[in-house]
Amino acid sequence: MGLLDGKVAFVTAAGGNIAGATARLFAEEGAAVACADVAEEDVRKTAADIEAAGGRAIAMVCDVTDEDAVKECIARTVAELGPLTTLFNAAAHSEQRFKVADMPVDMWRRTIDVDLTGMFIVCKYAIPEILKAGGGSIVNISSTYGKIAAAERPAYCSAKGGVRMLTKSIAVDYAADNIRCNSILPGPIEGPRMLQRNPSIEAVVARHGQRLHFKRLGQSIEIARTALFLASDESSYTNGADMAVDAGYTAF
Amino acid sequence: MGRLEGKSALVTAAGGGIAGAIARRFGAEGASVMCVDIVEESVTKTAGDIESAGGRAAWSLCDVSKEDQVRELIGKTVGAFGKVDIVVNAAAASEPTHTVVTMPLEVWQEVLDVNITGMFLVCKYAIPEMQKSGGGCFINISSTFGSIAWPGRPAYMATKAAVKQITRSVALDFAGDNIRANAISPGAIETNRLLARTPTMDAVREKMVPLHPIGRLGQPDDIANAALFLASDESSFMTGADMFVDGGFTMI
Amino acid sequence: MKRLEGKIAFVTAAGGAIAGATARLFGAEGAAVACVDIARENVEQTAADIVEAGGRAIPLVCDVTDEDSVKEAVAKTVAEFGGLTTVFNAAAYRDPAAPALEIDVATWRKTLDVNVTGMFIVIQQAIPHMQKAGGGSIVNISSIYGARVAKRRPAYSASKAAVRLLTQSIAVDYAEDNIRCNAILPGPIATSRLLITNNSFEAVAERHRPHLPAGRLGQPEEIARTALFLASDASSFTTGADHFVDGGYNAM
Repeated sequence: MGLLDGKVAFVTAAGGNIAGATARLFAEEGAAVACADVAEEDVRKTAADIEAAGGRAIAMVCDVTDEDAVKECIARTVAELGPLTTLFNAAAHSEQRFKVADMPVDMWRRTIDVDLTGMFIVCKYAIPEILKAGGGSIVNISSTYGKIAAAERPAYCSAKGGVRMLTKSIAVDYAADNIRCNSILPGPIEGPRMLQRNPSIEAVVARHGQRLHFKRLGQSIEIARTALFLASDESSYTNGADMAVDAGYTAF
Repeated sequence: MGRLEGKSALVTAAGGGIAGAIARRFGAEGASVMCVDIVEESVTKTAGDIESAGGRAAWSLCDVSKEDQVRELIGKTVGAFGKVDIVVNAAAASEPTHTVVTMPLEVWQEVLDVNITGMFLVCKYAIPEMQKSGGGCFINISSTFGSIAWPGRPAYMATKAAVKQITRSVALDFAGDNIRANAISPGAIETNRLLARTPTMDAVREKMVPLHPIGRLGQPDDIANAALFLASDESSFMTGADMFVDGGFTMI
Repeated sequence: MKRLEGKIAFVTAAGGAIAGATARLFGAEGAAVACVDIARENVEQTAADIVEAGGRAIPLVCDVTDEDSVKEAVAKTVAEFGGLTTVFNAAAYRDPAAPALEIDVATWRKTLDVNVTGMFIVIQQAIPHMQKAGGGSIVNISSIYGARVAKRRPAYSASKAAVRLLTQSIAVDYAEDNIRCNAILPGPIATSRLLITNNSFEAVAERHRPHLPAGRLGQPEEIARTALFLASDASSFTTGADHFVDGGYNAM
């Protein structure tokens, strides 16, 4: 018996590292998973992996900043998988490093649009379906940098701060409807994106220095397992919380 | 001798209750104040008050969400006062009460545009001027609702959390330039804004005073006092901080 | 596969509601459980429940403020089960509700002694065994009142805030030994303790309005399930973190 038996989950950025691991784990634990991403090939791979492992999944191309596309994807999820109970919001833009004074306005807007407005749009159209299902759980990916600042990432920090409060807003507004909403604040998680900006994983560990108390990066499955806890009834009295999964990064 | 003698300050939303009090206080303490708002009548009143009290003020209309207007505003301030030492970012949209589900995307977008993109733009164009003159400081108005939630305010709360993070981002990235950035998180402050959601101030008091252990609503001068401290050299070791001026609202 | 297979847990206050539920759940998930309490009768019951359900448990009478008593209890645990990997610290003093002027220093000292120093002593005695075992997980019970203040509970509030930073301190200092340490901050939980000073659980929930979006009290099992997550390897990248299990109390 899985922790998510009978649940239907909508997972954004499911072609990516963290959300891909989460989609797979949700399916292993019994959920039917709608895998959404802008990258078609990646999201098809995640859904195919789930099916190959005996789970239920559909893949869909979805730009979370496009209201119509989101609406359609949510409708398709319900039509094909059944009443929606679970939402995992991880879509985020990978912006270049700039200080405020040098950051082009378009880049600022793009990051805010994907990381924050996209999450708003997905919630806006998913919640009515979760209400119909009688309640559910929403898990939003914020970041360590939604709480403390990272150098040269003003848009990312701002958007991820916004995610934390959007989460609490939903938690308060829909508690009476049996919808819980929590955020995860991952520390540095190992993934292929990292190597676009850094020469090696070791270099990233070294850069984070003494704040990274385990002297290693987090693995996507460690975020997935936390998401599983929050998505499942195991966390039934946890609502509006920020869950740091960061090896003590923000404790230091 | 005023505590801001010789300083040049730019205050957005200076026609409003909170920022108006800040602008007047800064003027009384010797700063030259550029009063900024989108409403001519209110901003000229603030500037006029400062001048009739013997201070130095100028005013400008500016929609902070428009890049060209912000660029022009900074130029105008430097033209009038020679530099920009202090920026108070207080402009915020007042959106109607909505949950995530009922809020139209356009409303969400407008709140984000003014509350965070506007702040980003003012920082973006003010910082190079501060660098030229050897430093400066930002006072960004966040809210208790950037840390804890209240029903029906998803966009406002997400942006006010983002404000805390853009504040930390600026504080971190420009610490080496002798630029400080701090946030103020006011509780319920007795201004006309409170009447947007509740018919009378008495009704506001009835609802909000019990939630403020100090036993009263905050006054605009409470925030002006905090802003003065953060603008002055008395707070010279404070940066990236989030100062709660909330009568204990968030502690219970 | 059980989630705490092979773990050996030391659970303080195991005769009480929250730690009792946690000890039973740990036992059901495969851990050998040393059930520790100052009151023999209750803790014998908890241990008997675990054994009856097919688990492994021993009852230990121990005063956590007495270093020798804790040493002996830890030694007995290790002798019985062959090591120690997991600690759940819940022992707390039932301090009377009164403002500072009405609390004698002895009561203050007693509260801090049990809630903080007792926890410190248990951790101090347990860590060497965790180091031998190659790592472990410590879960400390703080309280929502370690983050938000309650009326007439100065000693309790101070002690529970201290628990959070003790937790982070342990997390940071022993991360390299693969020992994790996290805090749970429960909101109001339906335990018989509450009924000493309240007529009913509903009355307690009502008193917490509007601060309790969930509109109900939490159940001891809901804290136990969170403790299970933190004690298990599912939370392997989580250390030094606060976990609010409070029905949204801290979100608002």
